[in-house]
Amino acid sequence: MTVLLNNSFINRVWKIKSRYLILIIIGIWTPLALIFKGMANLELPTYQNTFATSAAGDAAASIRGNRTKSTAFIYFFNPIRAFINGFVELIRMLIATPAPNSIIPVLGWLGVIGVVAFIVFATSNLRTMLLAVSLLIGCGFLGMWTFTMDTIAMTLAAVILSLSIGIPLGVFAGLSDRVLKILTPFLDLAQILPTLVYLAPLALFFLIGAASATIATMVYSIPLSIRITAHAIRNLNQSPIEASTSMGATTRQTLTKVQLPMGKKMIVLGINQTVMAALSFVVIAALIAAPGLGKPIVNALTIRNVGNGFVAGLAVVFVAIMLDRSTSAAAKTKISFVPPTAQEIKRRRISLAIMGIITVLSVWLSRNVLWAAIWPKKLDVSNPISRFTNDANDWVVDNVRIITVTLKDFISNYLLNSIETLLAGSPWFITVAMIYVIALILGGRHVAILSLGLLLVIIACGLWYETMVTLTQTLVATLLTMIIGVILGVWIGRSERADKILRPFLDAGQTLPAFVYLVPMLGLFGPTRFTAIVTGIVYSIPVVVKIVGEGIRNVSSTMIEAATSAGSTAWQIITKVQIPAAKKSLLLATNQGLIFVLAVVVIGGFVGSGGLGYLVIVGSSKPELQGKGLIAGFSILLLGVMIDRIANASARKYGN
Amino acid sequence: MNQHNTSSAISVRGLWKVFGENPENIVGSTDASLPKAELLAKTGNTAAVRDISFDVAPGEVFVVMGLSGSGKSTLVRCLTRLIEPTAGSVLLNGEDILTASPTRLRELRKSAFSMVFQHFGLLPHRSVIDNIAYSLEINGMKKAERHKKAESVIELVGLQGYSQAYPEQLSGGMQQRVGLARALAVDPQVMFLDEPFSALDPLIRRDMQSEVIRLHKEVGKTMVFITHDLSEAMKLGDRIAIMRDGAIVQMGTPEELVAKPADSYVADFMRDISKSHVLTLKYLARPAGAGEDTSGLELPAETIILEASKVILESRRPVKVIENGKLLGIVSDQDILRLLAEETV
Ligand SMILES: Nc1ncnc2c1ncn2[C@@H]1O[C@H](COP(=O)(O)OP(=O)(O)O)[C@@H](O)[C@H]1O
Ligand SMILES: [Mg+2]
Repeated sequence: MTVLLNNSFINRVWKIKSRYLILIIIGIWTPLALIFKGMANLELPTYQNTFATSAAGDAAASIRGNRTKSTAFIYFFNPIRAFINGFVELIRMLIATPAPNSIIPVLGWLGVIGVVAFIVFATSNLRTMLLAVSLLIGCGFLGMWTFTMDTIAMTLAAVILSLSIGIPLGVFAGLSDRVLKILTPFLDLAQILPTLVYLAPLALFFLIGAASATIATMVYSIPLSIRITAHAIRNLNQSPIEASTSMGATTRQTLTKVQLPMGKKMIVLGINQTVMAALSFVVIAALIAAPGLGKPIVNALTIRNVGNGFVAGLAVVFVAIMLDRSTSAAAKTKISFVPPTAQEIKRRRISLAIMGIITVLSVWLSRNVLWAAIWPKKLDVSNPISRFTNDANDWVVDNVRIITVTLKDFISNYLLNSIETLLAGSPWFITVAMIYVIALILGGRHVAILSLGLLLVIIACGLWYETMVTLTQTLVATLLTMIIGVILGVWIGRSERADKILRPFLDAGQTLPAFVYLVPMLGLFGPTRFTAIVTGIVYSIPVVVKIVGEGIRNVSSTMIEAATSAGSTAWQIITKVQIPAAKKSLLLATNQGLIFVLAVVVIGGFVGSGGLGYLVIVGSSKPELQGKGLIAGFSILLLGVMIDRIANASARKYGN
Repeated sequence: MNQHNTSSAISVRGLWKVFGENPENIVGSTDASLPKAELLAKTGNTAAVRDISFDVAPGEVFVVMGLSGSGKSTLVRCLTRLIEPTAGSVLLNGEDILTASPTRLRELRKSAFSMVFQHFGLLPHRSVIDNIAYSLEINGMKKAERHKKAESVIELVGLQGYSQAYPEQLSGGMQQRVGLARALAVDPQVMFLDEPFSALDPLIRRDMQSEVIRLHKEVGKTMVFITHDLSEAMKLGDRIAIMRDGAIVQMGTPEELVAKPADSYVADFMRDISKSHVLTLKYLARPAGAGEDTSGLELPAETIILEASKVILESRRPVKVIENGKLLGIVSDQDILRLLAEETV
């Protein structure tokens, strides 16, 4: 053991081949795991608290008790909550909840459609406008109008607040290395923190409901908008900026007259990503009673009604496509700074005026005529759709049982169970030692020591067993994601046509909230850990395929030509030239895949995946388990940091 | 050489720029003379400009030439403190630039000197006229006034009719005309041009070089012109400084450099070029010998020899070389043939 701790020894052995080394470790680990199976693996019944979890539970109880007494609440948390709540309710009143002295919102459904049509038309084009309007009408037909409006209102509120904080901070971080350096650890942490982890602690301080859902969404989307804005400012063409300085402009003049006008379009494009992140979070925030489409999805998942979940999920998909298309139309056109000609401006004014009249008319109708105010019951087709979906699902489940059950059993029995035996079945000290050594090999001493520390904290918290269950699912899902992702990535990296075919699916897949994927997977595979794994795979494949495809495409064509002229087959080129040369992208994709998968696997606690995610979810609904839920969230965070650090360090070590 | 020449437009003494941590430790130390890679490996520093001194007379075109990475851009940016020098002093019209306060420095940048960049550095979101008027706007000039001023510069650089165009609608050559116009708009005493034509096609580059010669004649600005192209240096420079690894290895008129290269580095440079391609008639011009015919054609002194050779070889009589309206000397077909013969060995 002491020999293995020696870094230079590891380095020497590494030269032999790292994969043999890891195989040797697994070879030692397996018999140990089988001999000591179930011993000292620290498994606890769900309802049993540990020292840390009961301490957290007590702390939570005392925080709850202090809400009206402590100064921190009176002067800090409560005012923030009141302000945000007021802001959210204001926007909801416009489109979702009854306005004061009224039974309908300020805008009825027709009015909302008119206003959305006008905004989308003004900011992008007619086609996008028609798409947005049809999607909104679709949400109406799904019987989801009010839920949809709540989701849009929540997203809008969170985005406005996030951008008004994120863009200025992003500009600072773009201009100053110091500011960026201070912010970077927070930005990094926000990127690896699974969404589920934010919810419980925020609800503790801000209660459940719209306000804390908005705050949670902001915590999630502000870092994103800071990152994008800073990136936009930093990646500007530097020569106009230098020219401006050379002409005697002050820093402020250069910022307002050169950097902001040049970066404006990039920053606006960043809004798109902020909107999509906020939307996916708002849906998940239903777990802390956020109004909106997440609510029917959570209900459907709880009572395992695939049809109802499908209807609400479809509405989320519609909203996602609508928001994505209407905020990214600008991205499709090449960035040009040439203003429109006088004639174009005139034509545009006329069409805007026409649209304006239609909009005003629809707003007036929606405020004065009942059918235009409240979505007519006759136009609600959710029941037949839900019933049809349930039938179709039953049929599919009955008829492809062979495939689904075989697949599920195969992966569960072989992959999941064997890795779980190693990680969660061995005595804890053996697993800790093995993870330490693997971290040492993959990432070096610093990372190994960090991992050791994190694992010991998790053990001290008392959630070791659940952590290992979650880690097992994360590793298996990532492994499968990488297999599929590399195949598809190589395909789109080598073939323009494949890229054309797959890209729309990848783009669409990336914009959907993870929550939505749970519904069909639940239908297919039932409430099992396998459902969580498949959802994780489906959710993370788009990003993995894109990164791998990009890496393969960027392999120099001279290298490929040289290999071709040396008589290599396509298979040889892929395995001997392209994949090795794209190693860096593969490592990056693995890192991203791990983080994405972890975020989904813990949400899978909802559909029976067990592990830490399940504890977080029961913790949020059962007061006696609140402490356990909070500590489980904390353990997910530690696990995420460990996975990310190991993946990062090994990418740095072997990426070049 | 250590005293500043206060009558110079620019006077530089002992200028250093060292990148990396603790740069002042490198200045003047033995490490400074290490080759670039060794210095980088040893201390992590790059000495981009090493102990440079020179003077530029008012109205002179001073060319700095060197291979890529030799420190030309760093040098020219140190002169206007776009990069803060590590050591040394720079006088501009007798005023010490390096001790100027930020406010004074901005004043000088607004009025006393201006710069033209290799990648143009135009503001993409502004029309040509607003690009040219940018520095006037920074100066707080009213819109009508600055547009009037900008229009007159637009004419000077031959951009009539393009004032409302946007940079992305213009070719590279046109864009650099805007760059030139912008630099001229503040009526500076000194212009710094950092490889202004390196990003352009050879044909356009030739046009633009002639344009600079013409502008220099018309407005008579002092110019510091950076290039990596020897023929460009020869064509434009009253004097040329050749840089290598951050230091000046030789400084002199084009003719001096061709005739007496200071070391093998400069000689290598000069060997690679055909004199007839870079030298002008000025280089060949000699006083008429006894009995030589002086009634031949007149050619400007800045004509490249190669371009003049056809005319001279076809003409029966030697041509007269004229500089600023004065007779500099004559060039005969024999002179041309001798030079061409030299080149072919
Ligand atoms: N900001 C910088 N930091 C570190 N090294 C630099 C920096 N700018 C330039 N250098 C180095 O200084 C040397 C001179 O660069 P530069 O002045 O751009 O040369 P040139 O303009 O002649 O091509 C190069 O070796 C370059 O790598
Ligand atoms: Mg340069």
